[in-house]
Amino acid sequence: MKTIQIDPVTRLEGHGKIEIFLNDDGDVENAYFQVPELRGFEKFCEGRPAEELSSIVTKICGVCPGCHHMASGKALDAVFGVTPPPTALKLRELFYMAHFIHSHIAHFYALAAPDFVVGPEANPSERNILGVINKVGIQIGTEVIKQRRLAQEIQALLGGHQTHVVMNIPGGVKKGLTEEQRDDIVKKAEGFVEFSKFTMQLFKDVVLGNKNYVDLILHGPYSLKLHSMGLVDEKNHVNFYDGKVRVVDTVGKELYKYAPHDYLDYIEEHVEPWTYLKFPFLKKIGWKGFIDGQESGLYHATPLSRLNAADGMATPIAQQEYEFMFKTLGGKPVHATLAMHWARLVELIYSAEHCLELAKDPDITGKVLRTPIEKIVGEGIGTVEAQRGTLTHHYWTDDKGMVRKVNLIVGTTNNHGPICMSIKKAAQGIIKKGEEITESSLNKIEMAFRAYDPCFSCATHSLPGQMRFILNIHDRQGNVIRSIKRD
Amino acid sequence: MKTLVLGIGNDILSDDGIGPRLAGDLSSEFKNPEISFQTLALGGLDILDLIRDFDKVVILDAIRTENGVPGDVYLFTPSGFKGTQYLSNLHDIQFPEAIKLGRRLGIKITKNIRIIAVEISEDRIFSTEFSPQIKENYPQIRRDVLRILKKVVTRDKS
Repeated sequence: MKTIQIDPVTRLEGHGKIEIFLNDDGDVENAYFQVPELRGFEKFCEGRPAEELSSIVTKICGVCPGCHHMASGKALDAVFGVTPPPTALKLRELFYMAHFIHSHIAHFYALAAPDFVVGPEANPSERNILGVINKVGIQIGTEVIKQRRLAQEIQALLGGHQTHVVMNIPGGVKKGLTEEQRDDIVKKAEGFVEFSKFTMQLFKDVVLGNKNYVDLILHGPYSLKLHSMGLVDEKNHVNFYDGKVRVVDTVGKELYKYAPHDYLDYIEEHVEPWTYLKFPFLKKIGWKGFIDGQESGLYHATPLSRLNAADGMATPIAQQEYEFMFKTLGGKPVHATLAMHWARLVELIYSAEHCLELAKDPDITGKVLRTPIEKIVGEGIGTVEAQRGTLTHHYWTDDKGMVRKVNLIVGTTNNHGPICMSIKKAAQGIIKKGEEITESSLNKIEMAFRAYDPCFSCATHSLPGQMRFILNIHDRQGNVIRSIKRD
Repeated sequence: MKTLVLGIGNDILSDDGIGPRLAGDLSSEFKNPEISFQTLALGGLDILDLIRDFDKVVILDAIRTENGVPGDVYLFTPSGFKGTQYLSNLHDIQFPEAIKLGRRLGIKITKNIRIIAVEISEDRIFSTEFSPQIKENYPQIRRDVLRILKKVVTRDKS
């Protein structure tokens, strides 16, 4: 047995790296955000029976396994040329609402609230979920854990496992709901609606009630004018599970609305030599570099972009909150990066309301759970909205249904360009010549990408949430003049 | 004493799956019904739900340290914890924070927690196979972990 001290440097490989380059005047000239990448997922899938993929993909990422499972399930429906029956589709969506509820609750209370409830300049030992609970009270903390757990229980019930979901099969789902189980979900969903309303009110009291925070959201170094992407239903309402991909430009005008299977006509990926992760952009505009504004080819795919890209929400309370948010922030579209936290809570309310609607739907306890497979089409594309962006799975198989090729565009990858630009803009606004760079400075730069709820677990192993990272500041000659590590 | 042995990791990410593999392999060595074995792919708040109400918890995880030799086995207490693969690799909160949070909220979280970590070599390539170093040394790793686990489970009452 050994006891060891692990120097933070030893985990360097697992860190994100932010490299900031100063100009001759000592101001920020450029900033690069790098993450390590996992390799070989496509190769790992090749030669396997396609129907195995929906279970395998839940292991790409421990953070959004349900999203991969849903995108994969839809892609496999297409590979086998089959449409699931109504009950199966509603069960999938019910699972998915629970997945959004648990994830959005975790993000708000564990990752977003510390900056606003405790404060962006607070001591880091207090700027965490414990600090939040110290401020808002143990009773609320207990409720956070409880509501998140109840959402997980629904996922485990419907999905067979809360993380390694085994729910979907080509053409449907493996098991249905009993009336007793449905009644239990209805009770839980009623609680989710109340808790999501409470959380929104907490946000309004703490954030909107503080002029400094409102200024930070609207006027801080945290805004980017980019195009917005999101799935919408036939009424152009936000939809997480299905619909068409809608893209609106920086002034809110619809640029494109396309079926997910046409994504290659609209999305292309740019490669930079300094990072493994690609940079998706709008193909018809073209790659114009890391610029914002109407001429940029970059878009973001986030809770805020989903609300920007839609004409409204499909449930009543979420719709009210949608209208209030845009009215308060000066109309659509909103380009304030930190408003993503607000948009996420509008989505939390929608998820809770829709969870309740689905649980009460008479079809949800139906007995027809699968449409039989009669053919192999050989290619399939499935797109859903993951919590952190539009997620697409694209599979090719041979005539026996064995996987030939896999392509994934994961939620956070959509936002790689915007995240890099947000970091640079925040660094330019926060790091000034002659001023000391403090832990608070680091946190304020981190806030720029934390708003995206980035999860690089699909492409990397080590950087979800409040990530460990190293920030190096280089002088004009490229020498590192300051290095800050966060573990 | 109600004891949980929890193997954490991803079994399609090469050596990263060492925790779940060990949990599966070692469960047959313990016949006591008070000792249960589980696996998990996450830490943080998910761990809270799993470890609540146990009297003792032993976590098996992977670790990478500077100059570490793949196959080395370490034993930590939460107070000496610096960060293994999954216990510091979270979407939500880190392990020590999760423990503090649970206790703050009145959830029964035992003070008797141990972390057995195995130094690994490869966790960035999707594979169901261990790296050659871990694969070759696995019998010894299994023996080392079993020895520590038996000691922790049967004798360590602290």
